[in-house]
Amino acid sequence: MTDPDVLEVTVDIKADTETVFRYFTDADRYRQWMGGDVVLDPVPGGVYRVGMRDGVEAVGEFVEIDPPRRVVFTWGWTRDDTVAPGSTRVVVTLEPLDTGTRVVLRHYGLPNHERTVDHRDGWTMYLDRLAVRAAGGDPGPDPNI
Amino acid sequence: MEPLQVIAAPRRLRILQLVWDTERTAGDIAAHFDVSWSAISQHLTVLKNAGFVVERREGNSRIYRADQAALGPLRAIVEQHWHDGLGRLKNMAEREQRAKDDE
Repeated sequence: MTDPDVLEVTVDIKADTETVFRYFTDADRYRQWMGGDVVLDPVPGGVYRVGMRDGVEAVGEFVEIDPPRRVVFTWGWTRDDTVAPGSTRVVVTLEPLDTGTRVVLRHYGLPNHERTVDHRDGWTMYLDRLAVRAAGGDPGPDPNI
Repeated sequence: MEPLQVIAAPRRLRILQLVWDTERTAGDIAAHFDVSWSAISQHLTVLKNAGFVVERREGNSRIYRADQAALGPLRAIVEQHWHDGLGRLKNMAEREQRAKDDE
């Protein structure tokens, strides 16, 4: 049985786990694949804040940081009652492959199927951007900025 | 859902416009809407089930394009909607220009 409220997105990246990990914890690297104003304090309880356009932000806090294998943070949106800041949880695991890194992102606690589908689309697009950037390419401007 | 009901939704009309004569991925389409990743997938499913857009897969991506012929008589209504939208924009711009000229 699968839990309908857990979404999982996987991407393989041609870069080692240490490199990919930094794209989740270093604000300068993070904004190269998602967001504009990015504030990250990668310690338990530290801020996770990714600004999109129109003042909308993805907001949560770091829960676990285990470089270069696992990072957990809470997640939600300003001006979005159904997925409020910090109301859901994202678990990212990095597995070394011969050719790079497999990123598995699981998003827990989304309130319904509709919002799960929204976030599957969102993470799919952004993890593709991360794969391009972490492998040394240019994913182009974030379309949500 | 009745065909008219399918197109009587602003977001679905906007999606149709985005894929009217170009292919786009689901992510690319979603990027044209709310930044808090609001649901476009359901609308795409409705449009797909109605036959108004066709989906194909390429690797992990789903790619969409409108099937203009499948809209039948509704095609004219959809195109008129966009045309009127542009007409309104033109009227507003011209009104603004006249107001400036009067200053």
